Amino acid sequence: MGFYLLKRLGLAFAVICAVVLVLFSLLYLIPGDPATIALGPRASPEAIARYAERMHLDEPIWRQFLIFIGNALTGDLGVDVFSERSVTTIVGERLGFTLALVGLGMGWAMTLGIPLGCLAAVRPNSWLDRVTGVLSVSTIAVPSFLVSIWALLIFAVHLRWLPAIGAGEPGDVVDQLRHLILPAFAIGLSWVGYLARMVRASMLEVMGETYIRSARAFGLAPRRVVFGYALRVAILPTITLIGMGFGGLISSTVFAEIIFARPGIGKLIFDAVMARNFPIVQGGVLVATGLYILVVLISDLLIAWFDPRVRESL
Amino acid sequence: MAKDTGTGAGAGEILLDIRDLSLDFRTPRGRVKALRNVSFPVRKNRVIGIVGESGSGKSTILWSILGLLAKNAEVTGGEIRFEDRDLLHASEPQLRAVRGEEISVVFQDPMTSQIPVLTYARQMRDILYRRPNVSVAEKRRMAVEMLAKVGIPDPEKRIDQYPHHFSGGMRQRAGIAMALLTGPKLLLADEPTTALDVTMEAQIIHLLQDLQKELDATVVLVSHNLGLIAELCDDVVVMYAGEVVEAGEVREIFHSPQHPYTRALLECDPARIDDVSRKLPVIPGDIPDLTKPRAGCIFAPRCQRVQEICRTEKPPRVARSPVNMARCHLLAGPAHDPDWPPDPSVITVGRGVEADATTHKVPAEQTLLEVSDLNVQFETVGRISAWLKGLETRHVDAVLDVSLTVRPGETVGLVGESGSGKTTLGRSVLNLVAGQAGSVRFEGQEIRAMPEARFKPLRRDMAMMFQDPVGSLSPRKSVRALITEPFLIHGITGVDLDAEAERLADMVRLPKPFLSRYPHELSGGQARRVGVARALALNPKLIIADEPTAGLDVSVQGEILNLMADLQAEHGLGYLIITHNLPVVRHIADRLAIMYLGRIVEEGRTDAVFAHPVHPYTRALVEGVPQPDPDRRRVHVSISGEVPSLLNRPKGCDFAGRCPIAQDRCRAEKPAHVTMPDGRRHACHFPLT
Repeated sequence: MGFYLLKRLGLAFAVICAVVLVLFSLLYLIPGDPATIALGPRASPEAIARYAERMHLDEPIWRQFLIFIGNALTGDLGVDVFSERSVTTIVGERLGFTLALVGLGMGWAMTLGIPLGCLAAVRPNSWLDRVTGVLSVSTIAVPSFLVSIWALLIFAVHLRWLPAIGAGEPGDVVDQLRHLILPAFAIGLSWVGYLARMVRASMLEVMGETYIRSARAFGLAPRRVVFGYALRVAILPTITLIGMGFGGLISSTVFAEIIFARPGIGKLIFDAVMARNFPIVQGGVLVATGLYILVVLISDLLIAWFDPRVRESL
Repeated sequence: MAKDTGTGAGAGEILLDIRDLSLDFRTPRGRVKALRNVSFPVRKNRVIGIVGESGSGKSTILWSILGLLAKNAEVTGGEIRFEDRDLLHASEPQLRAVRGEEISVVFQDPMTSQIPVLTYARQMRDILYRRPNVSVAEKRRMAVEMLAKVGIPDPEKRIDQYPHHFSGGMRQRAGIAMALLTGPKLLLADEPTTALDVTMEAQIIHLLQDLQKELDATVVLVSHNLGLIAELCDDVVVMYAGEVVEAGEVREIFHSPQHPYTRALLECDPARIDDVSRKLPVIPGDIPDLTKPRAGCIFAPRCQRVQEICRTEKPPRVARSPVNMARCHLLAGPAHDPDWPPDPSVITVGRGVEADATTHKVPAEQTLLEVSDLNVQFETVGRISAWLKGLETRHVDAVLDVSLTVRPGETVGLVGESGSGKTTLGRSVLNLVAGQAGSVRFEGQEIRAMPEARFKPLRRDMAMMFQDPVGSLSPRKSVRALITEPFLIHGITGVDLDAEAERLADMVRLPKPFLSRYPHELSGGQARRVGVARALALNPKLIIADEPTAGLDVSVQGEILNLMADLQAEHGLGYLIITHNLPVVRHIADRLAIMYLGRIVEEGRTDAVFAHPVHPYTRALVEGVPQPDPDRRRVHVSISGEVPSLLNRPKGCDFAGRCPIAQDRCRAEKPAHVTMPDGRRHACHFPLT
């Protein structure tokens, strides 16, 4: 187990290094001097010289790379070109908004999608199964930005039930929650479909296993057989899917964040790219990547916790 | 268990009564009438065996007792009376109260019938869920007690383990403990030993006998294994294609079978045939199509004694006593034959195409395959992991110093339990697994570690018959494509593939229309024939057959073995047959090699090995086979324990831990291979004399 964790952390470090390498070379692949690119064509020579010194631009590239990695490891992701604030602080401020959005979106998708998949699998070809099938395909097919816009139009503009944009008053939890509902609905909807389909497929397979027949032959109640036995095995591939989905959503919530004008990692990176604010791009992508790796690791550990065979092979 | 079956026939209270049960399965091909008017009583405190081949409906009866039939099943008539209730018409909650509590089940395959992600403690506590006033601690105590009773060592600790921590035999013991936990009135056992090795099977049979005696349980045992039935049962019901053809007390069934099918089934069992004539008896034909069962006797198309009346009229139920009955026209009515059944020494069934069996020629002197001191190792841990954990060796010896020869025209049987390394040995001969040391010579040429490019032409001379006949065929290819595939693989052009397909189909006696079928449309025996045809396609010299009769019914396995023998006589093939089935290998092999934990412990001529085993393990295997004769029930189990893991191979003799005659020397020193004057070889410090 300890060895396994060590191996996974080593791999994670390798992935992060590769990402940093790509981010780092970005500056040099774009034609022109990095300092001029960063500060714009009208920057004064003094500003460029100051910037070059601060960014160690006069050092050889490999040293610059090592310095960047070293700084990143100690939590220093550089400084925003415009506001001169620390990138770590800026990313940290937005991270909470993104995590709340992704957590709520994935959360409601799980609470609806997993039971739907189970019930559909227990009664194949029933009306519930058919409705679930149609529903999941349509929610997967509709793009989430379209869902966002429709949700915004219907619930915020037309019905005026919920606020349309922003993240709510700082400190007012109820207001913030009200602002979360529409974007969370929009990003979670297609996941209801994914999860229902996935759980249904693996449940159908598991329900055909002989140990399920054994459990029924011992007279266990149907609810216990479905949720206590079959789901315990059928959920395993779904956990991986949820982990990858959760990790992916951290950056792909950008649609919802733009449409609902919410602060968040995705929107931060998007805006920084538009403004050629490279330190923010680098810092933001690095944090998103790290989170992705962390979430996938957690989902793998969760599988090990559920399945003793996996646990012992670690 | 072996009660005096002669007394008070028909006596005993009836616990479960199946009356006129008929059942259909709705399938795309139409309604399969899987059970037709099945009736038999299950008497209290007795063991009743339901015996039949695949498709006879024996398992369907079990599941209809529990009300756990597949969704496409439909009961069309009859009743199943359990005490005073009719289970067929009970509601789901009523049935659920019966399941596990009053009627419990021991399942066929303990590897798949226990949920892998829950501990035994949890699984057994769940079974006791209907007792709200029993505390969790008390339930655990009950479970531990039951595990101890079925012979699981250290149950207090092992109850917190998961099924994959248990070996096959231990899992089946745990399965029995789970079934008995609630103290059921009726125990159903579905092929309880089929998935186990011979020595494990013997132990489980012994356990079931003891428990039945102790608990005075009523048991319904479903099996195709006549030995198991003879060993355990008081009463027997013989099923064929969804009908009960004969029922009665075990001695009557085995010693004086009345129905031609029962008779044929017993004659086909290799374990009962004493003369080693190489040609095994078979029941020609296939199980009939049950979507439209025929008017007369269901067995008529395959019966050797069929009369005109058998094809038109249902046979009468002829009872010799209140408990013994058979349905056959030969026993009563216009077709009554006073000379039926004939003396037990008369064989009533055919012996394949050429009945003049003993065309057994002496194998040639040159060798086809020569394996000497072969070692195959498997890596168990990665390099870094081993270094971190400070392990000295990262390998296990799957095959250890094995020497073996096969001559042209000779059949060598490689026998061992699961984990003995027999399949690995077969694969390394075909270069599918790389050996680390030793040599493998094929026609004098060293082939171990030969690069695939050079080895490929040699593959044409060696062919493999795989264990799972259906699973080893691509489901998307027709039989024609499958049996001509070897030509394509070896890039052989200039042959008429259609003509070759027909030639091969002819050779394995597969009717031509089957060439356009797909694997799922074949029966087990037919799929096996396709496997043989594939192996033969390029006229090989050596065939390695991995469990050639696994999963086949008794009446069909004779056909396959006879076919293999005919082809050998015709083409001078050398066979290396990998199997755990001793009764079968006794009939077909010239020589036997017994493997245990990757080593050959004994090797010699088949008749000599069976008549007089030298190694204690061989003796345990030979004695472990349940005999299909209720008068030859065993009273003891010759060896206990289980095959140790390759990871901790004993220092001395591998078998020392289970050997009844092991001495200190056996535990300290690995016995070397010794060749005896008659050419037999063994690896034992104290060979049996």
